[in-house]
Amino acid sequence: MDKASLKTEIKQLIVKELNLEGRDPASIEDDAPLFGGGLALDSLDALQLAMSVEERYGVRIPEGDEARAIFASVTALANHVAAADEARGSGTLTR
Amino acid sequence: MTGAGLVTSLGNTAPATWDRLMRGERGVGPVTLFDAADFRSSLAAEARGFEVPRSGGRAAGWCRTSALAWNAAREAIGVARLDVKTRRVGLVVGGTTGGMFENEAILAKLYGGMHAHDGQAPPLARRGERPPLSPQVNEVLADLLSHPLSSAADALHEALGPFARVRSLCSACSSGANALLVAALWLELGEVDAVVAGGTDGLCRLTFSGFNALQATDPGPCRPFDRRRRGLNLGEGAGFVVLEREGDARARGAHPIAELAGWAATAEAHHITNPEPTGEAASRTIARALALSGLSPADLDYVNAHGTGTPLNDAMESAALAHALGDDVKRVLVSSSKAQIGHTLGAAGAVEAIFAAFAVHRQEVPPTAGLDEPDPACALVHVPHVGRKARVRVASSNAFGFGGMDTVLVFAEPGREEGSRRRAPPPGLSGGGRVGGHAITEGGHAITEGGQASSPRDQLRAPRTVVITGAGALTAAGLDDASTAALHLLSGPIPEAATCGGPLADDVGARLDRTRARRLDRPARLGAVVCEHALAEAARTGAPLDPAGVGAVLGSAFGSVDPSAGFMHRLFAKGARLASPAEFPNLVPSSPVGHVSIYLGIHGPALATADLATTGESAVVQAAELVAMGEAEAVVAGAVEEASPIVEGVFVALFARSPGDGSAQRPPDARGEGAAAVVLEAEEGARARGATILARLAQSIAWRDAPSAEGGDGRTALDELTPPVAPGEARVVLARESADADGLLARSPWSSVPRVTCRERAGEHEALGAVALVVATSLLARGEAREVLVLGLARGRGYALVLAAP
Repeated sequence: MDKASLKTEIKQLIVKELNLEGRDPASIEDDAPLFGGGLALDSLDALQLAMSVEERYGVRIPEGDEARAIFASVTALANHVAAADEARGSGTLTR
Repeated sequence: MTGAGLVTSLGNTAPATWDRLMRGERGVGPVTLFDAADFRSSLAAEARGFEVPRSGGRAAGWCRTSALAWNAAREAIGVARLDVKTRRVGLVVGGTTGGMFENEAILAKLYGGMHAHDGQAPPLARRGERPPLSPQVNEVLADLLSHPLSSAADALHEALGPFARVRSLCSACSSGANALLVAALWLELGEVDAVVAGGTDGLCRLTFSGFNALQATDPGPCRPFDRRRRGLNLGEGAGFVVLEREGDARARGAHPIAELAGWAATAEAHHITNPEPTGEAASRTIARALALSGLSPADLDYVNAHGTGTPLNDAMESAALAHALGDDVKRVLVSSSKAQIGHTLGAAGAVEAIFAAFAVHRQEVPPTAGLDEPDPACALVHVPHVGRKARVRVASSNAFGFGGMDTVLVFAEPGREEGSRRRAPPPGLSGGGRVGGHAITEGGHAITEGGQASSPRDQLRAPRTVVITGAGALTAAGLDDASTAALHLLSGPIPEAATCGGPLADDVGARLDRTRARRLDRPARLGAVVCEHALAEAARTGAPLDPAGVGAVLGSAFGSVDPSAGFMHRLFAKGARLASPAEFPNLVPSSPVGHVSIYLGIHGPALATADLATTGESAVVQAAELVAMGEAEAVVAGAVEEASPIVEGVFVALFARSPGDGSAQRPPDARGEGAAAVVLEAEEGARARGATILARLAQSIAWRDAPSAEGGDGRTALDELTPPVAPGEARVVLARESADADGLLARSPWSSVPRVTCRERAGEHEALGAVALVVATSLLARGEAREVLVLGLARGRGYALVLAAP
């Protein structure tokens, strides 16, 4: 999966898991802030998203400040998922 | 308060718990009730060695939550030397989990063990399947609804009662505190001579995994108010008290432990899990409770804090105390007991109220264990590590629940001077309500000046007349208010959905603001639609209602059964790390009403009730009590039931299990879903704002049959019913027809009054009593009747509400 596809998938995951009914996943910008931005997401969403990412990609999101950086944007989240995938030698997500 | 009883991880009586609490001992350790290995925290405060009653005739046995309650309630009754058989005694039980611990074992069996197959939870029945499942599955499934939220109260009624009046309620982690608040209202209203009230919650996998999924637990022993705090430790337990009017208590020679001097319940209307960060909402609740008690911050010496140990709560609560107490926050001692007994959820508000009362009674304050480095954001006068002697004239207890349900109780030394009487809070405390504030003050003054009671401090506030100004029902017949409900629910074609059950075809989501409603699950959406509709009708004429003074009470008989089963299936199948943090808060019985208060932005008391097939009636009676005593200017109240393959499957399974002797005459009706609510409002407030009054609540009777009663006690209860002025212009509205209703009515002054039923067009479910109240309101609003009796009956319990034309 290339990075663009991964980002698209993550956007779909966000809309579905956070019940953003009526929101077109494609309208979420790659580099816009996920939290504190136009999506009006909060800490409960962050927990749900972290759980969903772990379920979908087997990648853990750490707690606290580290999570803040990973959840900065769709691009940052996709980079974290891809890097964690590479690190465990799977690499299937970005190949 | 003349009696108190406790079961906690520190001890199985109140004195045993208190002694260890004062020494700073901690009852927190590795979980033994289930495998907690993979969770963020594997610690909890488990109760041990408490007695599980053998008597009481519980067919389904005693669930852990009910057994905890039995121990604590029995102790409280014993300490008070209260004879429940010779006096009119009420019972109020708060809680959140009911028999979830036992249900988890049933679900594990049904879903193939603790390591269920991956994938979505299979429904345990499918529509129209009769019999739906194998006899073996049926046999297991049949027990799944044996311990709903109301089961603890039912069990206590059978084992320790009979009680004249029984209420089961939930406001998440303030449930236990609200049980005491409701008990106080019953005493003020004169409904009972004494009340046994408290909270109970057994530990279970669902709450344990839920709080872990929310990362709200501390992996180690928790440390409230500490700079390094990371969350809470869960606990379990029960706390019960006996409350009675002080004059009555002294007359019978009872020794008061403390006076429950003031109380307040509000809703933050902020967020389903996170507290409102400034603490302003909680601060208003503290101030309101103090004002009601006739006391000021200068009188307060100790606060038993909610103090969960989560970063958000402790900072918010400290800010709230600083704001509410002003300079006195530099003097008032504050501690949290949760590092020692864990967060006992639905029990916490009652357990910790007892701690506050004991601080007054014993003149000593318990500590905050684990508090080594106080957080500068929690600038309070702490009592670290061990308790100590202190002069405590007045102590309060905070309880804050999911959905922002804040309750504060104030305890004072018994025998206060006559001058320090309870009084209504001044206007403005409720948030600057124009209409509401005035109404409260007028009510308060009227009584203070009247002072007719032999013991004035016992009855300082007089009940206010309650009227209905709006109604909403979402049923198989569509969405109605009072102007149309009688038309659509009593005449015209019978909707197919009413007969075949299952989910309503209505696009419920489209009726709400999708962005604000995104966290609302189906019960919350059904509830939000009818509450918004009812409040819209109430605001159609006159000045708008001030949201600061509007509360909400929404009942549900069994709670979110299928989502809870789904949550557990996911936990079994995917493990602790993949429990859903977003789903968990929606599984608390008070979740729909919490969501509704947030969605509608209303700040009055918010809570859920549960009472089997009379849940709607219980919610409306609860709301009427809150309005009558000035806890809210208006309360939107009713019930919500979601279509549930599991509930239907259980009903079918129970029928399959029933003896083939003809006693169970026919298989259960197809169960549908729906919601209904009415707006109850103080008459003086409604008149002041120029609202159209649709109906007046003329009479409200609630009863419980004694377990041994032949043919039930409803007959004697209905003897109190005032006869209709003109039977020809009156109606009886029933949720559903029954031989019991026929029998009761035949012997009542309403025997010759024409009857109508709602089930035909609304569909069958446990919220139907709320639909009946909407229909009754509609009959009056449409001029089709001058008086209406709503009679609601379920196993061993009943409600009779008379609505009259204004």
